[in-house]
Amino acid sequence: MTDLDRETRDALAELLLAMADDEFVLGFWDSEWTGIAPILEEDVAMSSVSQDEIGHAKALYELLAELTGGDADVIAFGRPVDGYRHAALMNHARTDWAFSIARRFLYENADAVRLESLAASAYRPLAELAVKMRREETYHLLHFDLWLRRLAEGSDESHARLAAAIERLWPDAQAVFAPLAGEALLVAAGILPEPLETLRARWLERVSPRLTAAHLPVPAIPDRPGADGRTRRTDEFAWLHGEFTAVASSEADATW
Amino acid sequence: MGSKDRVWEVFRQEAEGDPMIHGGSVRAPDEELATHYAREFYGRRQESERLWIVPRDAILELDDPDLLKPPFDRSFKRPGGFLIKHKLEAARERAGSPQVEEMEE
Repeated sequence: MTDLDRETRDALAELLLAMADDEFVLGFWDSEWTGIAPILEEDVAMSSVSQDEIGHAKALYELLAELTGGDADVIAFGRPVDGYRHAALMNHARTDWAFSIARRFLYENADAVRLESLAASAYRPLAELAVKMRREETYHLLHFDLWLRRLAEGSDESHARLAAAIERLWPDAQAVFAPLAGEALLVAAGILPEPLETLRARWLERVSPRLTAAHLPVPAIPDRPGADGRTRRTDEFAWLHGEFTAVASSEADATW
Repeated sequence: MGSKDRVWEVFRQEAEGDPMIHGGSVRAPDEELATHYAREFYGRRQESERLWIVPRDAILELDDPDLLKPPFDRSFKRPGGFLIKHKLEAARERAGSPQVEEMEE
Protein backbone atom coordinates (compact mmCIF):
# COMPACT_ATOMS: atom_id res chain seq x y z
CA MET A 1 0.00 0.00 0.00
CA THR A 2 2.65 2.46 -1.08
CA ASP A 3 0.39 4.25 -3.53
CA LEU A 4 -1.30 6.47 -0.96
CA ASP A 5 -2.37 9.85 -2.22
CA ARG A 6 -1.00 12.83 -0.40
CA GLU A 7 -4.13 13.61 1.64
CA THR A 8 -4.51 10.02 2.83
CA ARG A 9 -0.83 9.82 3.69
CA ASP A 10 -1.07 13.03 5.74
CA ALA A 11 -4.13 11.65 7.55
CA LEU A 12 -2.29 8.41 8.30
CA ALA A 13 0.64 10.43 9.62
CA GLU A 14 -1.77 12.25 11.97
CA LEU A 15 -3.13 8.93 13.24
CA LEU A 16 0.35 7.48 13.86
CA LEU A 17 1.48 10.65 15.60
CA ALA A 18 -1.61 10.68 17.83
CA MET A 19 -1.08 7.09 18.92
CA ALA A 20 2.67 7.48 19.37
CA ASP A 21 2.27 10.62 21.47
CA ASP A 22 -0.36 8.95 23.68
CA GLU A 23 2.06 6.14 24.50
CA PHE A 24 5.11 8.38 24.75
CA VAL A 25 3.66 10.99 27.11
CA LEU A 26 1.90 8.45 29.32
CA GLY A 27 5.11 6.43 29.50
CA PHE A 28 6.96 9.49 30.77
CA TRP A 29 4.29 10.47 33.30
CA ASP A 30 4.15 7.03 34.87
CA SER A 31 7.90 6.52 34.83
CA GLU A 32 7.82 9.19 37.54
CA TRP A 33 6.61 6.47 39.91
CA THR A 34 10.00 4.79 39.70
CA GLY A 35 11.36 4.78 43.24
CA ILE A 36 8.16 5.94 44.95
CA ALA A 37 5.47 3.38 44.03
CA PRO A 38 3.54 1.82 46.97
CA ILE A 39 5.79 -1.24 47.30
CA LEU A 40 9.01 -2.41 45.69
CA GLU A 41 7.26 -4.99 43.51
CA GLU A 42 4.82 -2.41 42.15
CA ASP A 43 7.70 -0.01 41.60
CA VAL A 44 9.27 -2.52 39.21
CA ALA A 45 5.90 -3.30 37.60
CA MET A 46 4.95 0.33 36.97
CA SER A 47 8.42 1.16 35.65
CA SER A 48 8.32 -1.83 33.33
CA VAL A 49 4.87 -0.93 32.00
CA SER A 50 6.07 2.63 31.39
CA GLN A 51 9.04 1.31 29.46
CA ASP A 52 6.69 -0.83 27.39
CA GLU A 53 4.81 2.33 26.39
CA ILE A 54 7.99 4.12 25.37
CA GLY A 55 8.82 1.02 23.31
CA HIS A 56 5.44 1.16 21.58
CA ALA A 57 5.89 4.88 20.95
CA LYS A 58 9.29 4.15 19.38
CA ALA A 59 7.79 1.58 17.01
CA LEU A 60 5.02 4.03 16.02
CA TYR A 61 7.44 6.96 15.52
CA GLU A 62 9.54 4.68 13.31
CA LEU A 63 6.49 3.78 11.20
CA LEU A 64 5.75 7.48 10.90
CA ALA A 65 9.35 8.27 9.97
CA GLU A 66 9.25 5.62 7.24
CA LEU A 67 6.04 7.09 5.88
CA THR A 68 7.17 10.71 5.89
CA GLY A 69 10.92 10.34 5.46
CA GLY A 70 11.65 11.85 8.88
CA ASP A 71 13.73 10.69 11.83
CA ALA A 72 12.03 8.95 14.77
CA ASP A 73 14.18 10.62 17.45
CA VAL A 74 13.65 14.06 15.97
CA ILE A 75 9.89 13.47 15.87
CA ALA A 76 9.89 12.22 19.46
CA PHE A 77 12.09 14.89 21.05
CA GLY A 78 12.32 17.71 18.55
CA ARG A 79 8.89 19.31 18.71
CA PRO A 80 7.69 22.30 20.72
CA VAL A 81 4.97 21.83 23.36
CA ASP A 82 2.12 22.61 20.97
CA GLY A 83 3.45 20.18 18.36
CA TYR A 84 2.38 17.13 20.39
CA ARG A 85 -0.85 15.31 19.55
CA HIS A 86 -1.59 13.15 22.60
CA ALA A 87 -5.14 13.08 23.91
CA ALA A 88 -6.01 15.64 26.61
CA LEU A 89 -6.10 12.67 29.04
CA MET A 90 -2.31 12.78 29.02
CA ASN A 91 -2.17 16.52 29.83
CA HIS A 92 -2.42 15.85 33.56
CA ALA A 93 0.43 15.34 36.00
CA ARG A 94 0.94 12.02 37.76
CA THR A 95 -0.87 13.41 40.85
CA ASP A 96 -1.57 10.59 43.39
CA TRP A 97 -1.60 6.80 42.96
CA ALA A 98 -5.39 6.64 42.53
CA PHE A 99 -5.21 9.29 39.82
CA SER A 100 -2.50 7.44 37.92
CA ILE A 101 -4.42 4.16 38.21
CA ALA A 102 -7.66 5.81 37.05
CA ARG A 103 -5.92 7.26 34.00
CA ARG A 104 -4.27 3.93 33.23
CA PHE A 105 -7.55 2.08 33.49
CA LEU A 106 -9.30 4.50 31.14
CA TYR A 107 -6.41 4.62 28.69
CA GLU A 108 -5.54 0.92 28.55
CA ASN A 109 -9.13 0.06 27.70
CA ALA A 110 -9.27 2.78 25.04
CA ASP A 111 -5.97 1.63 23.60
CA ALA A 112 -7.17 -1.98 23.54
CA VAL A 113 -10.28 -1.02 21.57
CA ARG A 114 -8.17 1.00 19.15
CA LEU A 115 -5.58 -1.75 18.63
CA GLU A 116 -8.21 -4.47 18.17
CA SER A 117 -9.73 -2.45 15.37
CA LEU A 118 -6.39 -1.53 13.77
CA ALA A 119 -5.35 -5.18 13.64
CA ALA A 120 -7.57 -5.24 10.54
CA SER A 121 -6.04 -2.09 9.04
CA ALA A 122 -5.46 -2.04 5.29
CA TYR A 123 -2.09 -0.39 6.01
CA ARG A 124 -0.17 -3.60 6.65
CA PRO A 125 2.70 -2.19 8.74
CA LEU A 126 0.20 -0.66 11.16
CA ALA A 127 -1.94 -3.83 11.29
CA GLU A 128 1.14 -5.93 12.08
CA LEU A 129 2.33 -3.51 14.77
CA ALA A 130 -1.17 -3.39 16.32
CA VAL A 131 -1.17 -7.18 16.64
CA LYS A 132 2.24 -7.11 18.36
CA MET A 133 1.29 -4.27 20.70
CA ARG A 134 -1.96 -5.99 21.70
CA ARG A 135 -0.06 -8.97 23.05
CA GLU A 136 1.94 -6.75 25.39
CA GLU A 137 -1.08 -4.63 26.30
CA THR A 138 -2.94 -7.73 27.52
CA TYR A 139 -0.89 -7.62 30.68
CA HIS A 140 -1.36 -3.86 31.07
CA LEU A 141 -5.14 -4.30 30.92
CA LEU A 142 -5.08 -7.04 33.55
CA HIS A 143 -2.77 -5.12 35.84
CA PHE A 144 -4.71 -1.88 35.89
CA ASP A 145 -8.08 -3.57 36.06
CA LEU A 146 -6.78 -5.31 39.16
CA TRP A 147 -5.56 -2.03 40.68
CA LEU A 148 -8.85 -0.32 39.95
CA ARG A 149 -10.65 -3.05 41.92
CA ARG A 150 -8.09 -2.98 44.74
CA LEU A 151 -8.45 0.74 45.28
CA ALA A 152 -12.22 0.68 44.82
CA GLU A 153 -12.59 -2.08 47.41
CA GLY A 154 -9.77 -0.85 49.66
CA SER A 155 -10.46 1.89 52.19
CA ASP A 156 -12.99 4.72 52.11
CA GLU A 157 -10.14 7.02 51.24
CA SER A 158 -8.84 4.98 48.32
CA HIS A 159 -12.39 4.63 46.97
CA ALA A 160 -13.04 8.36 47.29
CA ARG A 161 -9.75 9.32 45.63
CA LEU A 162 -10.36 6.90 42.78
CA ALA A 163 -13.93 8.09 42.20
CA ALA A 164 -12.76 11.71 42.17
CA ALA A 165 -9.99 10.89 39.68
CA ILE A 166 -12.38 9.07 37.31
CA GLU A 167 -14.76 12.05 37.49
CA ARG A 168 -11.99 14.52 36.73
CA LEU A 169 -10.39 12.51 33.91
CA TRP A 170 -13.62 11.38 32.25
CA PRO A 171 -14.08 14.29 29.79
CA ASP A 172 -10.43 14.24 28.72
CA ALA A 173 -10.46 10.45 28.35
CA GLN A 174 -13.06 10.84 25.57
CA ALA A 175 -10.40 12.75 23.65
CA VAL A 176 -8.52 9.52 22.88
CA PHE A 177 -11.26 9.23 20.24
CA ALA A 178 -11.30 12.90 19.22
CA PRO A 179 -11.84 13.31 15.48
CA LEU A 180 -8.68 13.40 13.38
CA ALA A 181 -8.08 15.57 10.35
CA GLY A 182 -8.70 13.31 7.38
CA GLU A 183 -10.40 10.61 9.44
CA ALA A 184 -13.01 10.05 6.70
CA LEU A 185 -10.22 9.38 4.19
CA LEU A 186 -8.64 6.82 6.53
CA VAL A 187 -11.95 5.03 7.00
CA ALA A 188 -12.63 5.05 3.25
CA ALA A 189 -9.20 3.54 2.59
CA GLY A 190 -9.70 0.88 5.27
CA ILE A 191 -6.64 2.17 7.12
CA LEU A 192 -8.87 2.99 10.06
CA PRO A 193 -11.35 0.08 9.84
CA GLU A 194 -13.99 1.88 11.91
CA PRO A 195 -14.77 5.53 12.70
CA LEU A 196 -13.34 6.76 16.02
CA GLU A 197 -16.86 7.46 17.29
CA THR A 198 -17.68 3.75 16.88
CA LEU A 199 -14.56 2.91 18.87
CA ARG A 200 -15.54 5.38 21.58
CA ALA A 201 -18.95 3.72 21.94
CA ARG A 202 -17.26 0.32 22.25
CA TRP A 203 -14.86 1.66 24.86
CA LEU A 204 -17.75 3.10 26.89
CA GLU A 205 -19.53 -0.26 26.74
CA ARG A 206 -16.43 -1.83 28.15
CA VAL A 207 -15.42 0.57 30.93
CA SER A 208 -18.89 1.48 32.25
CA PRO A 209 -19.79 -1.99 33.60
CA ARG A 210 -16.34 -2.34 35.13
CA LEU A 211 -16.77 0.94 36.98
CA THR A 212 -20.23 -0.12 38.15
CA ALA A 213 -18.93 -3.50 39.30
CA ALA A 214 -16.30 -1.67 41.36
CA HIS A 215 -19.05 0.51 42.92
CA LEU A 216 -17.66 3.57 41.21
CA PRO A 217 -19.96 6.17 39.69
CA VAL A 218 -20.09 6.25 35.87
CA PRO A 219 -20.04 9.91 34.90
CA ALA A 220 -22.47 11.20 32.27
CA ILE A 221 -21.46 10.29 28.73
CA PRO A 222 -20.39 13.45 26.94
CA ASP A 223 -21.16 14.19 23.31
CA ARG A 224 -18.58 13.54 20.65
CA PRO A 225 -15.22 15.00 21.80
CA GLY A 226 -14.19 18.22 20.09
CA ALA A 227 -11.48 18.46 17.46
CA ASP A 228 -9.22 20.17 20.03
CA GLY A 229 -9.05 16.95 22.10
CA ARG A 230 -5.53 16.38 20.83
CA THR A 231 -4.30 19.96 20.58
CA ARG A 232 -5.18 21.49 23.97
CA ARG A 233 -2.03 21.66 26.11
CA THR A 234 -1.50 22.45 29.78
CA ASP A 235 1.26 23.89 31.97
CA GLU A 236 1.66 20.45 33.50
CA PHE A 237 2.47 18.97 30.11
CA ALA A 238 4.77 21.91 29.31
CA TRP A 239 6.73 21.02 32.46
CA LEU A 240 6.96 17.35 31.47
CA HIS A 241 8.04 18.34 27.97
CA GLY A 242 10.90 20.32 29.51
CA GLU A 243 11.91 17.21 31.45
CA PHE A 244 11.82 14.68 28.64
CA THR A 245 13.52 16.92 26.10
CA ALA A 246 16.20 18.18 28.53
CA VAL A 247 18.90 15.71 27.55
CA ALA A 248 18.12 15.53 23.84
CA SER A 249 18.11 19.33 23.55
CA SER A 250 21.31 19.81 25.59
CA GLU A 251 23.31 19.03 22.44
CA ALA A 252 21.07 18.98 19.42
CA ASP A 253 23.36 17.23 16.94
CA ALA A 254 25.01 14.78 19.30
CA THR A 255 25.26 11.10 18.43
CA TRP A 256 24.21 9.11 21.47
CA MET B 1 -0.91 -3.75 51.49
CA GLY B 2 1.69 -4.24 54.14
CA SER B 3 0.63 -6.49 57.00
CA LYS B 4 -1.49 -8.70 54.72
CA ASP B 5 1.38 -9.33 52.31
CA ARG B 6 2.57 -12.87 51.81
CA VAL B 7 5.80 -14.18 50.36
CA TRP B 8 5.54 -16.25 47.18
CA GLU B 9 8.34 -18.43 45.86
CA VAL B 10 8.77 -18.33 42.12
CA PHE B 11 10.10 -21.19 40.01
CA ARG B 12 10.92 -20.73 36.37
CA GLN B 13 11.45 -22.87 33.32
CA GLU B 14 13.85 -21.49 30.75
CA ALA B 15 12.82 -23.70 27.86
CA GLU B 16 10.08 -26.25 27.24
CA GLY B 17 11.19 -29.53 28.81
CA ASP B 18 13.70 -27.95 31.20
CA PRO B 19 13.28 -28.52 34.94
CA MET B 20 11.62 -25.81 37.03
CA ILE B 21 14.34 -23.91 38.90
CA HIS B 22 13.86 -21.65 41.90
CA GLY B 23 14.17 -18.04 40.70
CA GLY B 24 13.51 -16.10 43.90
CA SER B 25 10.54 -14.64 45.70
CA VAL B 26 8.08 -11.75 45.56
CA ARG B 27 5.88 -10.13 48.17
CA ALA B 28 2.20 -9.66 47.32
CA PRO B 29 -1.16 -9.61 49.10
CA ASP B 30 -2.98 -12.11 46.85
CA GLU B 31 -2.61 -14.64 44.04
CA GLU B 32 -3.45 -12.16 41.33
CA LEU B 33 -0.79 -9.59 42.23
CA ALA B 34 1.69 -12.36 43.03
CA THR B 35 1.25 -13.60 39.46
CA HIS B 36 1.75 -10.11 38.03
CA TYR B 37 4.86 -9.45 40.10
CA ALA B 38 6.32 -12.87 39.32
CA ARG B 39 5.87 -12.02 35.66
CA GLU B 40 7.63 -8.68 36.13
CA PHE B 41 10.53 -10.08 38.13
CA TYR B 42 11.10 -13.42 36.41
CA GLY B 43 9.56 -13.14 32.97
CA ARG B 44 9.48 -9.63 31.58
CA ARG B 45 12.68 -10.09 29.56
CA GLN B 46 11.23 -13.16 27.84
CA GLU B 47 13.61 -15.34 29.84
CA SER B 48 10.96 -17.80 31.04
CA GLU B 49 8.77 -20.33 29.28
CA ARG B 50 6.68 -20.98 32.38
CA LEU B 51 6.46 -19.83 36.01
CA TRP B 52 5.24 -21.60 39.13
CA ILE B 53 4.16 -19.24 41.90
CA VAL B 54 3.81 -20.90 45.29
CA PRO B 55 2.92 -19.32 48.63
CA ARG B 56 5.92 -19.86 50.87
CA ASP B 57 3.73 -21.11 53.71
CA ALA B 58 2.44 -23.91 51.45
CA ILE B 59 5.93 -25.32 51.15
CA LEU B 60 6.81 -28.21 53.47
CA GLU B 61 10.37 -27.81 54.63
CA LEU B 62 12.56 -30.69 55.71
CA ASP B 63 16.00 -29.85 57.03
CA ASP B 64 16.47 -32.33 59.92
CA PRO B 65 20.09 -33.54 59.72
CA ASP B 66 19.17 -36.85 61.36
CA LEU B 67 16.95 -37.51 58.35
CA LEU B 68 19.03 -35.89 55.64
CA LYS B 69 22.64 -36.34 56.77
CA PRO B 70 22.83 -39.45 58.99
CA PRO B 71 26.37 -40.06 60.28
CA PHE B 72 27.02 -43.43 58.58
CA ASP B 73 28.55 -44.20 55.22
CA ARG B 74 25.66 -44.17 52.79
CA SER B 75 27.71 -44.49 49.62
CA PHE B 76 26.04 -47.80 48.81
CA LYS B 77 22.74 -45.94 48.46
CA ARG B 78 24.08 -43.72 45.72
CA PRO B 79 23.19 -44.63 42.17
CA GLY B 80 26.87 -45.33 41.39
CA GLY B 81 26.71 -48.42 43.58
CA PHE B 82 29.78 -50.26 44.88
CA LEU B 83 33.23 -49.58 43.58
CA ILE B 84 34.11 -52.83 41.80
CA LYS B 85 37.06 -51.60 39.72
CA HIS B 86 39.69 -53.35 41.88
CA LYS B 87 37.71 -56.56 42.18
CA LEU B 88 37.30 -56.61 38.44
CA GLU B 89 41.07 -56.12 37.87
CA ALA B 90 41.88 -58.97 40.25
CA ALA B 91 39.42 -61.26 38.50
CA ARG B 92 40.88 -60.44 35.08
CA GLU B 93 44.40 -61.11 36.32
CA ARG B 94 43.38 -64.53 37.53
CA ALA B 95 41.68 -65.30 34.23
CA GLY B 96 44.56 -63.84 32.16
CA SER B 97 42.28 -61.55 30.22
CA PRO B 98 43.47 -58.17 28.84
CA GLN B 99 43.65 -55.12 31.16
CA VAL B 100 40.95 -52.53 31.15
CA GLU B 101 43.22 -49.95 29.48
CA GLU B 102 43.96 -52.27 26.59
CA MET B 103 40.32 -53.07 26.12
CA GLU B 104 39.48 -49.44 25.82
CA GLU B 105 41.90 -48.88 22.94
